[in-house]
Amino acid sequence: MPNQAQEPRNTIEPVQPEDFLPAVIHCKMQAWRLVQLCATRLPGQYELSYSFAKGLNLRTLRLVVNEDANVPSITQIYPGAFLQENEMAELFGVRVTDMSQDYHQRLYRIARETPFKEKG
Amino acid sequence: MAKRSIVPFGPQHPVLPEPVHLDLVLEDEVVVGAVPSIGFVHRGLEKLVETKDFKEYVYIAERVCGICSFGHGMGYCQSVEHIMGVEVPRRAAYLRTIWMEMSRIHSHLLWLGLLADAMGFESLFMQSWRLREKILDMFDATTGGRIIFSVNCVGGVLKDMDSGMLARLVDTLNDIERELRPLADTFLQDYTVGTRLVGLGVLKAEDATLAGAVGPMLRASGVAYDARMLGYAAYGDLDFAPVTAEAGDSYARCEVRIREIYQSIGLIRQAVQKIPEGPIAVPVKGNPNGEHFMRIEQPRGEAVYYVKGSGSKFIDRFRLRTPTTSNIPPMLDMLKGCQLADVPLLILTIDPCISCTER
Amino acid sequence: MRPTRIFPFAQTALQNLFRKPVTTAYPFAPAQYPERMRGHVEIDIEKCISCGLCARSCPPGALTVDRAARTWTINRFDCVQCGSCVNSCPKKCLRLVPGYTTPDTAKHSETFTRPAPPESDAPAAGGHPVNDPDKCVYCTLCAKKCPQQAITVDRAAKTWALDAEACVGCGLCAASCPKKCLTME
Repeated sequence: MPNQAQEPRNTIEPVQPEDFLPAVIHCKMQAWRLVQLCATRLPGQYELSYSFAKGLNLRTLRLVVNEDANVPSITQIYPGAFLQENEMAELFGVRVTDMSQDYHQRLYRIARETPFKEKG
Repeated sequence: MAKRSIVPFGPQHPVLPEPVHLDLVLEDEVVVGAVPSIGFVHRGLEKLVETKDFKEYVYIAERVCGICSFGHGMGYCQSVEHIMGVEVPRRAAYLRTIWMEMSRIHSHLLWLGLLADAMGFESLFMQSWRLREKILDMFDATTGGRIIFSVNCVGGVLKDMDSGMLARLVDTLNDIERELRPLADTFLQDYTVGTRLVGLGVLKAEDATLAGAVGPMLRASGVAYDARMLGYAAYGDLDFAPVTAEAGDSYARCEVRIREIYQSIGLIRQAVQKIPEGPIAVPVKGNPNGEHFMRIEQPRGEAVYYVKGSGSKFIDRFRLRTPTTSNIPPMLDMLKGCQLADVPLLILTIDPCISCTER
Repeated sequence: MRPTRIFPFAQTALQNLFRKPVTTAYPFAPAQYPERMRGHVEIDIEKCISCGLCARSCPPGALTVDRAARTWTINRFDCVQCGSCVNSCPKKCLRLVPGYTTPDTAKHSETFTRPAPPESDAPAAGGHPVNDPDKCVYCTLCAKKCPQQAITVDRAAKTWALDAEACVGCGLCAASCPKKCLTME
């Protein structure tokens, strides 16, 4: 079995809003690669997942914020995140602040605002 | 300082297979910045998961893309199976691996054709697509579709390949391998092709990792990361190592993709030898409850599938991060400092799939 | 350093001049379809029981089943040939066959009507299964056969329960019952 040295890690770690940016910077310092950003709708809240990978290991930082809370952008740390941050701002209405490149709801040509915010 | 001008590029362009728009900031003929806009083909397929039965959604997941459709169906099924604790029969895992590698061959041959087309080598373009046609015919014979396969289901696969069909597949691959050699030589050794590719759009390993490059793009910069090493489906039983190149230029990206075609042919041969007998699907009872991030290696690079279910037959959230989403930021880095005339070719070397990216 | 050759493509180009075309002469020669090709859906309407599972499982919503009128309607222009209906059909009366639907200037649908019910003693479809607890041996075969997983059988507690909402009245449970203790009512 050549490719089964050890089971790669795949974890989801909850993180508090105040610890969020330090945790992302910590990932950057340890040379983790940004994999994906994902927003999920909870009642009155958003569940944001930021995944990072190093080798075959994957870790996901899980941030839960209220609907009207501001979320700091990570584009100053990982510049490649701007497309996915704009996407979650536009489809879900997550208030991402200080994006290095803000499309102001003009990334996708869609008929109504924040179509993924409501169920169904 | 030279005078700056902004040139709009795309979404319609003879070289671009898909709609992406770039505002290129130029100083004379040299690109100093690029602002991408996408969003011409957003369909909201992720949202449909909330109104479709989770077993039915497989058919929608694989319609996200026309080239990597098999992988999307498989990635979605694997995530749901992981959440539900379903163990897929080994034969099904091998069949998935075989079809996945066929997708890779088909995608890379398509890309080689587009690359030849981008530099105006029409004859090479036609020859590459002639070879691709053999793979499409094999898909048609084994799954019943050339582009959309509809063979994945939660719990396994829907169609089996008997030994005669597997033998025919290996014969076809032998033909492709033989006929690919002169084409590969042209891509890798021809003087004219070299002048268009060598040293163009160099991406160093650190820059590629930081910007989030994945797939052949990352491997061409010398980083040996391939999500297949995770050993999902039957990859854990097969012997292979990630294909890498050092230079990080367009030539290296072309070389990596060509070598990956040979690697995929080898992987299918191994899988055909090792494929066990047995059932091809297990019945699945109940509904998914839980969440999981699943990574698989698509032809264009690592794709991430996230499924979150809450015990009903409708899944709460399905997220698909496609390889191109990750590859656009490094592409912007690459464009800085290149000539305007090289922009179409550079965009093509990331193998962009915009309709995947927007879903 | 990469190896460089002069005219590596010359041989391919020359061979191409003296080779037969790889394309076919369609439409003058007929197109060859492989056996497994998913071209269009066909129904064996005599076997259909109007359970409606195909229409429920159809992702684009191209199918309509009217149980009272005994019809099965397909909008061929909405159908995406995914095969979901074929896989869900409990009676296996649907199949995907090679050959594409011909193009047209207007969308239209095709309706098939089932013949009148035959006079036979086979368990008729329609209604819901009712269990006779005196005859039942709680073998769980009916629960295994149910395409909707609407039947729950507990062998230890000797209970048989039906989820009437999920039941489509296909009659597979009654047909498979070894003790013939299920009747469709």
